[in-house]
Amino acid sequence: MDKIRNNTIVKKIGFNSLVLLCVLVLLFILFAILTPIMKPGTTFLSYSRIVSIFNYAYFLGFLSLGVTFVIATGGIDFSIGPVMYCAALISGQLLTKNGLPIGACLLISILVGIIFGCINGILVAYGGLPSFITSMASMMIAKGVGSVFTKTQSVSWPGGWYQNLVKWTVGGVEIPTGIIILFVGAAICAVVLNQTRIGRYILCIGSNREAVRLSGVDTKKWEMLAYIICGALAGVAAIFYVTVYTTVLPGGGDTFNNDAIAGCVMGGTSMAGGVASIGGTLIGVVIISLLQVGILAMGYQSQYQYVITGLIVLVVVYADLRSRRRSN
Amino acid sequence: MGDVILTMKGIDKSFPGVHALDHVDLEVRKGEVHALMGENGAGKSTLMKVLTGIYKKDEGTITYEGKEVEFSNPREAQDAGIVIVHQELNMMGHLTVAQNIFIGREIMKGKLIDDRKMNEEAKKLFDRLGIDIDPTETMSRLTVGKQQMCEIAKAISHDAKVIIFDEPSAALTEAEIEELFKIIRDLREKQLGIVYISHRMDEIKVITDRVTVMRDGGYVGTLITEDCTKDDIINMMVGRVIYEEPKTESAVAPDAPVVLKVEHLNAGRMVRDVSFELRKGEILGFSGLMGAGRTETARALFGADPKDSGDVYINGKKVDIKKPQDAVRNGIGYLSEDRKRYGIVVDKTIAENSTMASLERFMKGIFIDKKKENEAAQEYVDALNTKTPGVDQLVVNLSGGNQQKVVIAKWLVRNCDILIFDEPTRGIDVGAKSEIYTLMNKLAAEGKSIIMISSEMTEILRMSDRIVVMCEGKKTGELGIEEATQEKIMHAATLRN
Repeated sequence: MDKIRNNTIVKKIGFNSLVLLCVLVLLFILFAILTPIMKPGTTFLSYSRIVSIFNYAYFLGFLSLGVTFVIATGGIDFSIGPVMYCAALISGQLLTKNGLPIGACLLISILVGIIFGCINGILVAYGGLPSFITSMASMMIAKGVGSVFTKTQSVSWPGGWYQNLVKWTVGGVEIPTGIIILFVGAAICAVVLNQTRIGRYILCIGSNREAVRLSGVDTKKWEMLAYIICGALAGVAAIFYVTVYTTVLPGGGDTFNNDAIAGCVMGGTSMAGGVASIGGTLIGVVIISLLQVGILAMGYQSQYQYVITGLIVLVVVYADLRSRRRSN
Repeated sequence: MGDVILTMKGIDKSFPGVHALDHVDLEVRKGEVHALMGENGAGKSTLMKVLTGIYKKDEGTITYEGKEVEFSNPREAQDAGIVIVHQELNMMGHLTVAQNIFIGREIMKGKLIDDRKMNEEAKKLFDRLGIDIDPTETMSRLTVGKQQMCEIAKAISHDAKVIIFDEPSAALTEAEIEELFKIIRDLREKQLGIVYISHRMDEIKVITDRVTVMRDGGYVGTLITEDCTKDDIINMMVGRVIYEEPKTESAVAPDAPVVLKVEHLNAGRMVRDVSFELRKGEILGFSGLMGAGRTETARALFGADPKDSGDVYINGKKVDIKKPQDAVRNGIGYLSEDRKRYGIVVDKTIAENSTMASLERFMKGIFIDKKKENEAAQEYVDALNTKTPGVDQLVVNLSGGNQQKVVIAKWLVRNCDILIFDEPTRGIDVGAKSEIYTLMNKLAAEGKSIIMISSEMTEILRMSDRIVVMCEGKKTGELGIEEATQEKIMHAATLRN
């Protein structure tokens, strides 16, 4: 009896991404059926609906990919959402008020993310501070800095060539460039995580930091790099956020932490570190975007999305914990 | 000495692959301090765990206060009056002394905890024992010695009739030991039965009435302390027949160069002024009892823990080792006694573990050359005869002996010249053990130098060319293999100075 149960659990964990993909498809079908019933006269299956799902997935995807690296080390970063906002505010302010060229502003956005990543990384890896507390503090700092920089004014990005990053209309045909860029970004992340020294050490640090340190590896440096990658990707996320939503309000962004971390954990990355799946993260992000858009489509407020996401995260983390205990 | 209060007779206990206790007897009388002695792994702790119900015995009887008993957990034993004072203190540092003593059975006033009453009761208890401690003091602010007193007071407050002290003096200062002995004598006066586990020969002579010696899970004998000498006890502890061939002469050339020289190494309480030399092709055994500071010495040398002072020379050149990276760069590899925690990353593959210390050699641009990595791992799987279906196997799926080989492979891939093997055969079955021995001899013959820390006397005598003996953080002896005997090693290992 126990043996069989063990077996099926093992199988489930092995097909984690597959299961997740099924969940995604089922949810999509569910929304497609329920939307016309809940809100007569509307349909879920439309081009604009798909676009709005993707739009949410772009910036969230990069946030989630970034935090995957940090979670893989066994740490956590709660500052990514506000850092994204902060980066968008600072670069947007420089663009609209100081007249810097758009290209420079996009780079500055990434730079702001890197700076926050460095601060988090140095404090956690070299200072030995808990990542939970460190990133919570830098979350507050990021919120404050963004607001101060714009004198608590919101920033609206004007249109420009950078909007082609999300969709490019060539000869009347609209190409969803955003999804291509997100997939390329994810592929690069997967290569970094699985084929390079950074990724190897990050995963091993998450599994057994002491054994890695006693092998003569500079664990502090590699751990710090995970936070820097995370920060840089939060800066990239900021670019996609402004491209889609144009206006950024000061003092916010923290709700995206939850969505990003949830996407990552849902995708099979273990909160204990050592195990990470970029593909899983990507599917997790799309599921969350689908929930976000789908629940609004049914005429409910987005607060319901939080409830459902929360429940899914609990189930996934519990399953992860169970399988871990079993393998011990 | 009064009547017999506790008799353990013919206690037998086996774990898979190990006969931990082989028909052991122990008799404790009222008003007696009874020493329980033996080398590391002789079975003292296992015997006490059987007594207090942590382990279930396979055979034998325990008679306590005239009745046969079998406790199913320490709580039951405690309720019956048998209490252990552990070497590691189980105290909550942020609570007060009184709160610690009454933990789990707080004195209540209605629904609220009555701290005042607990303080009064604790004070009464301390007065009875002649201990001067303020019950309202926060536990973590007391010295280790005082904390130990609290632990004893807590034990006694359970109406204990038999108290087991598990190496109580290991962390205490001279003055604190004096105070501890005063309390123990006082308890003896009150007709309690006391079991005293210690490695310190001098203490045994001072405080105990009888001594029972165990060896390799078996019962050797019981002596009246007054009538025996330190040598009698040592002979009983080590008087085993060594089946494996001990080394009789050093395999190292007399003119072999010194590859590693450690001078006046100090690190915390456990490494005090340790100096030694290691020659090319030598296996240098580090012997000593539990807590002698051997692992601590190795870790300080390797840079795993900070050192306070001391110089390290490699091939005659002074090196500054601050962190493991420095040690590895200087060609030192460290095989930890705790493989799972410090040696391997269990949920990664054999290949990934094998190249952990030298990944930079397996890069093709920014990418890891997995083909080259797998080849290197496979080479050492073959060379060390690691039993695995492939190098992509997760290390967690291997047996202890094969995991150990993966750790050794990690350092061989790195091509380290100085290897520190800390308990290399702990938790490994007999077959794999002899394979590791063969491997170590081969490595030494190839010119690698090995420091082998071992708690097994037979292992020390079988493998070492030279033996350093430590006791309580200090080097207390150095013997060539030609002159080394079990008795001489044990002598040095119990030498307090």
